[in-house]
Amino acid sequence: MNKQFLKAGMLGLLVAGWLSQAAVAQSDPTGKRRVTSTYAITNATVFKAPGDPGSKATILIKDGVILGVGSSLALPKEAKIIAGDSLYVYPGFIDGAGNMGITKPKDVERPKDFVSSNPPDEIAGITPWRIATDSYSGASTQVDEWRKAGFTISQVVPDGGMLPGKTSLMVLGEAKNNNLLRNNVAMAANFRSSRGMYPATLAGVMAKFRDLYQNTSLTLDHEKLYASNAGVKRPQASPSQVALSPVVQKQMPVLFTAATELEIRRAISLQKELGFKLVLTGLETYESVIGLIKSSGTPILIKLQVPDDKSIKSQKADGVTEATKAQYARVKESYDKALKQAAQLEQAGIMFAFSTTDGKAADVQKTLKTLIDNGLSKKAALAALTTNPASILGISGMAGTLEKGKLANLIVTTDTLFKEETQIKHVIADGYVFDYEIKKKTTKAENTSAKPEAAPNAITVEGVWEYTSETPAGSSGGEIVIKRENGVLGGTITYDDPTGSGKASATIKNASLTGKTLSFEFDVAAGGMSLTVTISGEINGKTMDGSLSVPQMGSFPVKATLSSPSQSN
Amino acid sequence: MKKHIYLIAAFLGLGVGISQAQVQKGSVLIKNATVLTVTKGNLESSDVLVQNGIITQLGKNLTAPAGVNTIDATGKYLMPGIIDAHSHVGLDVVNEGSAPITSEIRMKDVVNPTEIGIYRALAGGVTVSHAMHGSANVVGGQNATLKHRWGSMDPADVIMQDAPRTIKFALGENPTRVHGRGNGIQPRSRMGVEAVIRNGFNEAIQYKKAWEKYNLAKVQKGNTTTPPAYSERLQTLADILDGKIIIHCHSYRADEIYMLINVIKDFNIKKVVFQHTNEGFKVAPEIAEYTMGASVFADWWAYKMEVYYSTAFNAAILQKNGALTSINSDSAELIRHLYHEAAKTQRYGGLTDEEALAMITINPAKQLGIEDKVGSIEVGKQADLVIFEGHPLSSYAVPQMTFVDGVKYFDIKKDNNDQRQWVAATEMVEPIFLRANEEANRCMQDVDAYFEAFQGAFLKEKH
Repeated sequence: MNKQFLKAGMLGLLVAGWLSQAAVAQSDPTGKRRVTSTYAITNATVFKAPGDPGSKATILIKDGVILGVGSSLALPKEAKIIAGDSLYVYPGFIDGAGNMGITKPKDVERPKDFVSSNPPDEIAGITPWRIATDSYSGASTQVDEWRKAGFTISQVVPDGGMLPGKTSLMVLGEAKNNNLLRNNVAMAANFRSSRGMYPATLAGVMAKFRDLYQNTSLTLDHEKLYASNAGVKRPQASPSQVALSPVVQKQMPVLFTAATELEIRRAISLQKELGFKLVLTGLETYESVIGLIKSSGTPILIKLQVPDDKSIKSQKADGVTEATKAQYARVKESYDKALKQAAQLEQAGIMFAFSTTDGKAADVQKTLKTLIDNGLSKKAALAALTTNPASILGISGMAGTLEKGKLANLIVTTDTLFKEETQIKHVIADGYVFDYEIKKKTTKAENTSAKPEAAPNAITVEGVWEYTSETPAGSSGGEIVIKRENGVLGGTITYDDPTGSGKASATIKNASLTGKTLSFEFDVAAGGMSLTVTISGEINGKTMDGSLSVPQMGSFPVKATLSSPSQSN
Repeated sequence: MKKHIYLIAAFLGLGVGISQAQVQKGSVLIKNATVLTVTKGNLESSDVLVQNGIITQLGKNLTAPAGVNTIDATGKYLMPGIIDAHSHVGLDVVNEGSAPITSEIRMKDVVNPTEIGIYRALAGGVTVSHAMHGSANVVGGQNATLKHRWGSMDPADVIMQDAPRTIKFALGENPTRVHGRGNGIQPRSRMGVEAVIRNGFNEAIQYKKAWEKYNLAKVQKGNTTTPPAYSERLQTLADILDGKIIIHCHSYRADEIYMLINVIKDFNIKKVVFQHTNEGFKVAPEIAEYTMGASVFADWWAYKMEVYYSTAFNAAILQKNGALTSINSDSAELIRHLYHEAAKTQRYGGLTDEEALAMITINPAKQLGIEDKVGSIEVGKQADLVIFEGHPLSSYAVPQMTFVDGVKYFDIKKDNNDQRQWVAATEMVEPIFLRANEEANRCMQDVDAYFEAFQGAFLKEKH
């Protein structure tokens, strides 16, 4: 009797718990909760893997997993149907290494007894115990932008000094979820010195790297001795040594950022000397080391970007000396060579993937097209975005292709990939569907012709816009003045002068209005360098929402309001 | 299959990695030159045959074996490749100026074979340079001896792999300014400099003992001795004590030079060369007796207080007192006319042609420990050679061709306006300024940022 009563009580509790959970769900105040986690993309042209010629099929996914890819799948009732008849489906892209959503941890305060010749590890940029997830936000606009470009997984790398910490593998799904796929994937390393303290130079960084490595190895010996023999002094591993132990034991690779040929050689020579597992990332110029990369068998992640063509564009045809022309030719030669490097990797039979670090999400299509125009095969390009990073990251079992049982990471496009007119309609990451507006390609006349538009655009773009942008350096803003002269958009923009106080002004160039999206560029001079900043945003009435992207730094949200519209031509 | 890929790669010019370990070696017959051997006198109208990078024959009427090019040097002078015992050309980093002892630093890590200074040095007849750490620290980094094999992208190709290890020490104002005044730590005075060196060596002795003890103990059963901490810094100092490394010590004043001589006597170190050594003439007999000599400027001084008491007779006085003496550049500009610098010892001190030429060839070779390989024109030596129009000690001398290992890397007739190996794809082509980058390649390079960080003394002089 008693027992039965107890059972009934337990059941009652369980039911109550279930009910209350359901009640919370039903009254979801945001209204954002999705009605189903089952989706079917029906009768689309599906490319399961690089090299697949594509065939008509339906893809069924549920709870973030691909349940099947085929032509005769039974679709459950709760499946939300995405009619794919005119659409194309590819595996979601994988970022071999990137810094989207990562913020740099605050600098640690120096202790009172600080000695610059022997600083604490944490102050000298040596923080191998840190983990990228601790400084990652899936809600960052950078994550939104890269996902919009087709990326569904990223190995995020912590920001910091020579050993900033360990990387994490994130799926770029719903920001509120725990999107961690795997932690402690690799130990990030940079040839980055500490200002005003040891190691203060590249030479110091290399020496310090050896020192940390060898002493970690000795500490492991000490621990082994302590475990086996009595009467041994207690081992006292430092936090750095504890964190570096899996590297020394060859369980965790070092992800070395090496942009140039010399840096690549230096990283490989350290690897040969010490014997750790090495993955190179952030490669920019590597033509002369392709043989070395091949013979050393080092996996590589090249930057998903092509060199800035400002230097090529600024070359003048007239009024320059023969010597200057010869210099121009050398820069042009170097530029052309740089574009062909990815194709050379393919020819040499080297498996490579991309790193999004320093890249611009909005330029992904353009960059890939440039690489393909310069000899990279479409198959190799897709492999570098899907199966190759999956293999380098050791996640081929869960990602990289469209197969039953793999993560529901895929992209749905309006045409085959790597075509200029192809747009991404949906990105599905971790089973969550992200929809993107398909813009009708405006005729080229709008951008190039000088005649005024026959029918005035319903969107008011001309006038004075007041904008603010959020960057790591804080909030900044100014005025954007947009004018249309002879049908061509142009104007000026003011911004916080990076060299001091006050505002600086720049001329707007390459302005265009496509649908509701206004985009333009302007040059900012800082510290002897000139950076081209791109602003792109969607106009809704008198407001504009978008992003501001700076090369090498990433992109940041920008908001603007039209304070004084002008209708003049 | 792999082979095929390599063949294709080689065809496309990608095959750099394959022939990595192989340094290029050439064969050539140079005919009818006035051969200045430096060690074996001058040979009028003579021929030098080079085969596979080595000088195989000296004499008259030599004939070229099949496939070996002949160069007619009638009316021209042939001398051994010039050796600069103090340079910072071809380095991406010069000073790790953050600690008083940084003997763990390896300049070989930061060699940049594409630096244009290497080609310019070749144009001045220099085939070997001693790429040194700077003088910010009492004990700086380990230097790299370079062979100017211009055209390779691989640092390993320009490093003279068979040269012995050397290390930079520095006395006087530079280390006391950087560490004492700039950073409030030892050394603040010349006494502190001596203490840093002695403490360093004593620690190295302890370090070596600790490792010897551990290595003996670890093979014993039931061992409880734990491994000592690893320190390449102390290991390198221990290697100096074991005679495995030649010290090259930045110094100016006689008192500090004599101080270091006392230190090395106490620690039984034999291999020391003094660099700069402007007051070397005051302690020339001591330098001659206890050290591997001095490497000096021909006539450069007064750029800071400790370099005022100087004379252009310094090299000749050292030489006449039996000290091994060389003339160096410590400058990307002076390295282009070291033959001219050597000639100054004739104007100030009346040295013979052979003595003056030895100052930039066999003498620096001895100070770098490579005199069995380079530094003179002798059968069996590596074929580092320069053909001059005019006698190299003449004011009108112009180098015509420079060879390293029998391979011609400079030819004045093929000297293009733009000899850079590598150009950035994003380089903005700007007007050229003759005096751009004059701060580069100096002893105190890379230290500026360090000063700024501490609002410390920020002085202009660099040596």
